Amino acid sequence: MKKRKRPSVWMLATAATTLTVLLSFQTPGPSSQPYTLNYPAYFGGRFTIPENNPMTQEGVALGRMLFYEPRLSGNNRVTCATCHQQKLAFTDGKAFSAGVDGTLTKRSSMSLSNLLWVRNLFWDGRVSGLEAQAVVPLTDPHEMGQSLEASVMKLKADGSYREKFAQAFGSGDITGENLLKALAQFERTLISGDSRYDKYLRGQYQPTAQELRGIELFMTPPSPQRNIRGANCGHCHGTPKTFVELFHNNGLDTLPKDAGREAITGQAIDRGRFRVPTLRNISLTAPYMHDGRFATLTEVLNHYNEHVQPSTTLSPFIAEATNAVDGKSLMLTETEKGDLLVFLQMLTDSAFVNNPDFSNPHFLRSTKP
Amino acid sequence: MSKKFCNPFLLAALLLISIAGHAQPKPSFRVEGEVLKPRTLTQDDLLKWKTTEVKGKDRDGKEHVFKGVRLVDVLDSAGVTLGGKLRGENLAKYVLVKAADGYEVIFSLPEIDPEFTSQTVLLAYEVDGHPLAKGEGPFRMVVPSDKKQARWIRELTTIKVVFSKE
Ligand code: HEC
Ligand code: HEC
Repeated sequence: MKKRKRPSVWMLATAATTLTVLLSFQTPGPSSQPYTLNYPAYFGGRFTIPENNPMTQEGVALGRMLFYEPRLSGNNRVTCATCHQQKLAFTDGKAFSAGVDGTLTKRSSMSLSNLLWVRNLFWDGRVSGLEAQAVVPLTDPHEMGQSLEASVMKLKADGSYREKFAQAFGSGDITGENLLKALAQFERTLISGDSRYDKYLRGQYQPTAQELRGIELFMTPPSPQRNIRGANCGHCHGTPKTFVELFHNNGLDTLPKDAGREAITGQAIDRGRFRVPTLRNISLTAPYMHDGRFATLTEVLNHYNEHVQPSTTLSPFIAEATNAVDGKSLMLTETEKGDLLVFLQMLTDSAFVNNPDFSNPHFLRSTKP
Repeated sequence: MSKKFCNPFLLAALLLISIAGHAQPKPSFRVEGEVLKPRTLTQDDLLKWKTTEVKGKDRDGKEHVFKGVRLVDVLDSAGVTLGGKLRGENLAKYVLVKAADGYEVIFSLPEIDPEFTSQTVLLAYEVDGHPLAKGEGPFRMVVPSDKKQARWIRELTTIKVVFSKE
């Protein structure tokens, strides 16, 4: 990994020099290099990048600096990476996380991967667009606790940022809007599509018999009348992205402490509904669920199989899924749960969590959370 | 334990009821997009229309009788290009149907228009003489000729007519 870091510094430096040269000869206008997103074709093209924030190499590089920039926080110690650490697929291993004032967040930190395809962000889908999302942790008094104006002032005091904003956005002015745009550009590059499951989908890996059984169970809706066994996870966590953008109550509580989607829509049918999260890198992102109540994937599987709590808004796709005629729960065997677990482990993408392009670019300053 | 959570929960619930009470008195769905008259319809509205019954095999493998209105009539009431107007570029329109949970499916207009097809796509509000259950109703799409029920979308909230932009 160390070896691979070097070229990227050089590349950045070269790009910067080339740009400066180009700038001095070009008439004013977009002088930055477009950034090409690389993603597996089976993820599909259903995403939109805002017209006023096209992806550029310089924008992404700046966004990465800002993602790891402690001066964006009120106490100069918290960064996005405090709660979103690359080695944990951009989660923090905690049920709830402490921000600048030590207060714990209301919900568990979320993995940041394949956000390009997410239209409604957060566990309750309350914000659309990564630009709008970034304001929330930056300014929330319990997370990074600093106004955009204050962040802009701090960045302005650092000459190197002036240059980077100019390269990314054409004008030397450091603004709150451009800060959000750069963060969003960086986040759009966080694509995880190189797990063993991806290699299987691309025909580059032959899964074990147990892995194949796990894939099949995961994706199949059970039908005991027709002797078809399945866990029906795919209804919500289906497609190679492992999520469909749906809001469901997956049976955690009969009386949810957190109303979830209901607090956004005001509709009683949305009580305890949350957005279906990605399961990519799920082995790295414990603890699980919006409140981090499950420490292990085994606990999660036991939940879906044996402990689903009834309620008026429990998803019918969970309530009705069973492998026994007139069964009241999923009724998977221990072996089948083992098969599912092995499939979930196939979703770990070590190239993603070790990708030097996503790591902390501030080599000289320590920004350890 | 129940005492501990009772108060905040009740407060939140009361607050939500008071908000919801203003915003939506009755469950309804929207017809919008490439339509002449976008509209919001409740079950009371549909009860004034001609009803249709269809038989269909649901996920449980059993046959049920669904009652409701034809999707074509819903679209017609909003002024969608059907019948004689369903030609030329209008054939590049599709119907995007959305559910409360965010689930989405599409139909092409000729799949719905009786001048093209003999199947009936039903917007149901009753099954076997009862209102649709929680989690299924109050409105559900029933497509008896689809062997899989994936487009029998439950908790229907929006019907949007869209032009393919390709
Ligand atoms: C104090 C911890 C903390 C910090 C700091 C933090 N986050 Fe988060 N992040 C969270 C939590 C908790 C959630 C889930 C909150 C919710 O759903 O209400 C979240 C959710 C998100 C999401 C939504 C992901 C999805 O799938 O919907 C994005 C994107 C995100 N954070 C980006 C950022 C960025 C960018 C920064 C820095 C500007 C940042 N976060 C700083 C804790 C943090
Ligand atoms: C009806 C939709 C639905 C089905 C079916 C479903 N899930 Fe989920 N899943 C969800 C929702 C919604 C959440 C988030 C719930 C929350 O935090 O309150 C979730 C969360 C999870 C999480 C935790 C993710 C995280 O980042 O914390 C895992 C793991 C998971 N599901 C695995 C599965 C498996 C395995 C199956 C099949 C046995 C399955 N799910 C079936 C909707 C579903």
